[in-house]
Amino acid sequence: MDTIHVTADTAALRNRAAQLVDEGRMDAARPLLAAAQALAPPSPDLALIGARLAAGEGALDQAMQTLDSGIAAAPSHVGLRKCRADIRHRMGDLEGAARDAAEAVIVDPADPQAKALLGAAMLDLGRTAEAVACLEEAVAGTPTEIGYREALSAALEKAGDPSSALRVLTDGIAVCPASVPVRNAAILLCVRRRDFIQAVRLAEQARSLGIADACTFGMKGHALSSLGRHDEAAIAYREALKLGPEDPYVRHLVVSSGAMPDSKRAPEGYIRTVFDGYADRFDAHLISLGYSIPGAIRSVLQAHPKIVAGLSIGPVLDLGCGTGMVALAIGDLPLGPFTGVDLSPRMLTQARAKGLYAELREGDIIADLAMDQQRWPLIVAADVLCYFGALEEIFAGIHQRLEPGGWFIFSVEKILPDHDGVIPGNGNWALQRQGRYAHAEHYIYEAVCAAGFRILRLDRPVIRQEAGAGVPGLLLAIERIHHDG
Amino acid sequence: MTVDVRPLPSPVALLAEGRFQEALAPLRLALAVGDACPATMLNLAIAEDRAGDSGRARRLMQQVAVRLPDWDEPVLRLAESLRSAGDNAAAEEAYRQVLDLNPSRPEALIALAGLLLMRRSPEEARDLLLRCCGIAPDNAEAWNTLGLALRATGAPNLALTAFVTAQGLRPDCLEYVLNGADVAPDAGEGDAELARLTVATEQNPLCPAIQLGRGMLLERLGRRSEAIDALEVATELAPDALVPLQLLAGVLARSSRVRQAEAALRRLSAMDPDNPQVRNDHAAVLMRLHRHAEARAILLDVVDSHGPHTAVLCNLANATVCVGLQEEAIDIARRAIDLDPDAVLARRALCNTLPYRDGTTGAALLSAMRDCSAVLPRTPQPPFNNTLDPDRPLVVGLLSGTLRSHPVGWLTVAGIETLDPDQFRVICLAQNAAPEDPIARRYRAAAREWVEVDGMNDAALTSAARDRGIDILIDLGGYGDAARMPACANRLAPVQIKWVGMQAHSSGLAEMDWFLTDRWETPDGFEPLYSEKLLRLSDGYVCYSPPPHAPDVVELPALANGFVTFGCFNNLAKITPRVIETWATILHRVPNARLILKTHQLTDAPTADGFLADFASLGISGDRIEPRGSSGHRAFMGEYGHVDIVLDPFPYSGGLTTCEALWMGVPTITLPGEIFASRHSASHMSNAGLADWVTGSVEGYIDMAVTRAADLDSLAKLRAGLREQVRRSPLCDAPRFGLNLGAALRHAWRVRCAETS
Repeated sequence: MDTIHVTADTAALRNRAAQLVDEGRMDAARPLLAAAQALAPPSPDLALIGARLAAGEGALDQAMQTLDSGIAAAPSHVGLRKCRADIRHRMGDLEGAARDAAEAVIVDPADPQAKALLGAAMLDLGRTAEAVACLEEAVAGTPTEIGYREALSAALEKAGDPSSALRVLTDGIAVCPASVPVRNAAILLCVRRRDFIQAVRLAEQARSLGIADACTFGMKGHALSSLGRHDEAAIAYREALKLGPEDPYVRHLVVSSGAMPDSKRAPEGYIRTVFDGYADRFDAHLISLGYSIPGAIRSVLQAHPKIVAGLSIGPVLDLGCGTGMVALAIGDLPLGPFTGVDLSPRMLTQARAKGLYAELREGDIIADLAMDQQRWPLIVAADVLCYFGALEEIFAGIHQRLEPGGWFIFSVEKILPDHDGVIPGNGNWALQRQGRYAHAEHYIYEAVCAAGFRILRLDRPVIRQEAGAGVPGLLLAIERIHHDG
Repeated sequence: MTVDVRPLPSPVALLAEGRFQEALAPLRLALAVGDACPATMLNLAIAEDRAGDSGRARRLMQQVAVRLPDWDEPVLRLAESLRSAGDNAAAEEAYRQVLDLNPSRPEALIALAGLLLMRRSPEEARDLLLRCCGIAPDNAEAWNTLGLALRATGAPNLALTAFVTAQGLRPDCLEYVLNGADVAPDAGEGDAELARLTVATEQNPLCPAIQLGRGMLLERLGRRSEAIDALEVATELAPDALVPLQLLAGVLARSSRVRQAEAALRRLSAMDPDNPQVRNDHAAVLMRLHRHAEARAILLDVVDSHGPHTAVLCNLANATVCVGLQEEAIDIARRAIDLDPDAVLARRALCNTLPYRDGTTGAALLSAMRDCSAVLPRTPQPPFNNTLDPDRPLVVGLLSGTLRSHPVGWLTVAGIETLDPDQFRVICLAQNAAPEDPIARRYRAAAREWVEVDGMNDAALTSAARDRGIDILIDLGGYGDAARMPACANRLAPVQIKWVGMQAHSSGLAEMDWFLTDRWETPDGFEPLYSEKLLRLSDGYVCYSPPPHAPDVVELPALANGFVTFGCFNNLAKITPRVIETWATILHRVPNARLILKTHQLTDAPTADGFLADFASLGISGDRIEPRGSSGHRAFMGEYGHVDIVLDPFPYSGGLTTCEALWMGVPTITLPGEIFASRHSASHMSNAGLADWVTGSVEGYIDMAVTRAADLDSLAKLRAGLREQVRRSPLCDAPRFGLNLGAALRHAWRVRCAETS
């Protein structure tokens, strides 16, 4: 009968374990480290591998324990110090991280990684000038390490020197022409600075050299779209989807370009991604685009019989509340309390900061309507139904949740004929290139009536400006007329 | 002077050390000088037996047994001698005599049970072993054999318990832990056993056997990547052991980590150089890496050293055709068939080599395909209960070992992505899945379900497809590497369709209902050459999805070079002697022209030299032919920047290669014939609006090459706009293709509904 025994030596096991940790193969590294530990006494090298392994598995506390005892036994071990600096940084102990990194720099002044760790800690401590100095030395020490360049670029951007920030990255492209991450970092910086022409140029250069991934094409599409070059953006998004087919955000944009079969609503992942990435600048962005819906909702509500009679309407459900722009616009009317629902946690954080909502719930609005047991006298949905094609399900859900006589106020974008005068989509709704749905007026009318509502008021406002032109929309106030049963 | 006085080792000690030959002399001497002690006689018998004289050994054993009729030992030794000589019936009888003398003798209980298992009497074996385990509860082998018996009696849970007990007694024994890993999923205890093994590895970090068992269990549970981790740990812990490396290589090969598999098998071949199985596996992996010349050399050596074997000959046939030796390859495939006429593998080898040979007719190929279909195993299956509503949404299964960056992938994925998701729910039944491959990821994203079928035999695959209610099964593998089309003989779905993937010609498979094609591939009148009904798509039968990393098209190189460069980037299997003759004629008629031949196999210098010699024998000097070997895909595409005109091989034309050349701005001159594989380029060129590059004869092909080479202005103009032309053509129009494919699938389903009603 074949039997099998350990014949490898400790050094071989230890080295292979370290290699596997570097490769991120923790499941393979762990047993080899355990075998090495069983065969040899504790050592700083084994401690370092153990700590990196634990950190790689997310067990930061365990990594810290290993490092603390390792450093107690070997206080000048640069590897242990650097590892603890990194983990302390990740755990939010910036001062501790800076101390360990500084110790490592003292022990080995030529170690660029130690300087990079120190620079990263300084950056987050707000000591930007020192961060820049450390990171410059780190980059000088290892010009090909893209992570150092990205950190230096971030530090320079924070120091108010965006040109130098971009130059660090474009120099990185020259030094490491085959690196996709450095090219992407440069393109992203351009997009953040709204320098879309430069972003497209860098992305096109990356594409023509074949040094591009899904992210490169995605950012290229974004930049082209921002420049109004929608057909080229659609090609870029299609290429992005080939390289990142799991990305719901890109998939939705490709569907909206007509290159894939239609879907009835935008995927949750898309909406969450778009708005999470957008939350910090959302209000300013919408205001700059002339977003007029919250104000229009306010004027509709001012004609509500209860408000006219000086009475309170009662609780309000704000579907797709985003950063809370509607509550901001109508919060002074006799309404409330407000409950907001949105898919994007970062949007909800912004809404919470406004202090206008009694409750904020993260989730899909259709799912929320199905779960919610409350009946509301007023539900609003501003710039939300443009993420749904077919509206029957959402109207049915709202009908369920409105009190008899309750109001639902919502906006949609109006479907327009294309260059050839053809109405796109299925005649009722169409997915547009920007990833939003537009709806036909007759469809809204039919769907609303079929769901048991009466239209109280229909306005045709310009809902925002896009590429210098007004986007026409519909704003409706509808009333629930059917009774239960 | 010192005298080295050491006692001679005793014969018993020599026996214990396995030094049987050395033990013979002292034992024979002892007997000769009158030591008639039964123990001495028996020891001599054992030594004689092991040293090779089993006749003398057994006579001695029988003499001892006669002298001491109550002693079980000589009968046991006799039984063991008979068993090791393969005389199982006599051995069984002898073991029964041992148990008559001593019903508690564990060796006899275990060995007899083993023989009973071999002749399929597991119940009796189980009863003997239960007795044995009661008598000798510390005997690990008894528990292991009990596990085997219990498994054979259909009690996998009890079998697992027995294997686990054996492991507990002998944790370092490979067989016990591997048996447990193998039976645990059948017992419904896969996860529990995995948890147990995981804890065991933590408690005993210096036990490679447990890691190995854990790895193989993870593999059975479909957790490949973790399986590889565990198996690699075992190989690191015990770098000199063969079994861990062998198991690791197998899982790596099945996971499409072919380079790592090759490295493991190379190491294994060095450690175990006379093992023909290891060398055959190594050659098979080398072929997947397109290192056909190396594979062929290994396989030829294996045949020389170990004689012909069907599996080895089949691999050899495939390796031989891939270095451009079509006739020789077909002869080898026929040898394999002669060796074993019922072997599916041998028939497959012939089906896979015949299409490359010049002069193979459609009827001859169909006949070979039908012969292969005839030997496929078929198991009666219950009728389908799929609802025969012609208009309902359908479940479409894709069966393939190449849903990744592979011609199958590049030519089908866009069509699958653009199928109407409300009408077609796609399930991928993937063999050799490559999880990180960008095209594999596209299939995964487009499919509702992704099922890895490597671990499934044909019966399990059939159940997996039928349980999922697949309405239309599309085979994308044929008889190619890792393909599972043979399972279609059991009917995986009510409608079965052959599409891309070793779609050299009709599948010949009686159960394949339809063949996806187009009007260029199979014009009217070609129907008799196909066993399936032809399902002609409105445009081409495939949709090319160009890679995002393709370099830009460059200007016609002839303008700067001052001479025309022809090129062919196809597999060498397609380059027949007649093709070489034809190209040589073209080069004679266009005196300054050059020819670039680029393909994986030309990385091998002797192979490349062989081609140069072939051209030299036809009067074409080496400086006009440029053989080029492997490169990355982007570089491969980029090298079309050096080519003005592609010359298609025949009878097996380019497929994906033609599409790639078009994308890079280079048109292909093609000569379609009768078989399906000969008409791919004609389809793609016509679909892209370039039907005027399709010729009807070798003479026409030569004339066209000469004429086109003389008109550089037209070539340059065509090239400059070709990518955009192809992008806008039906060849790359994925939404249009998705509609066509959907319509074809719907038609096939409606016909099925109509036929059944």
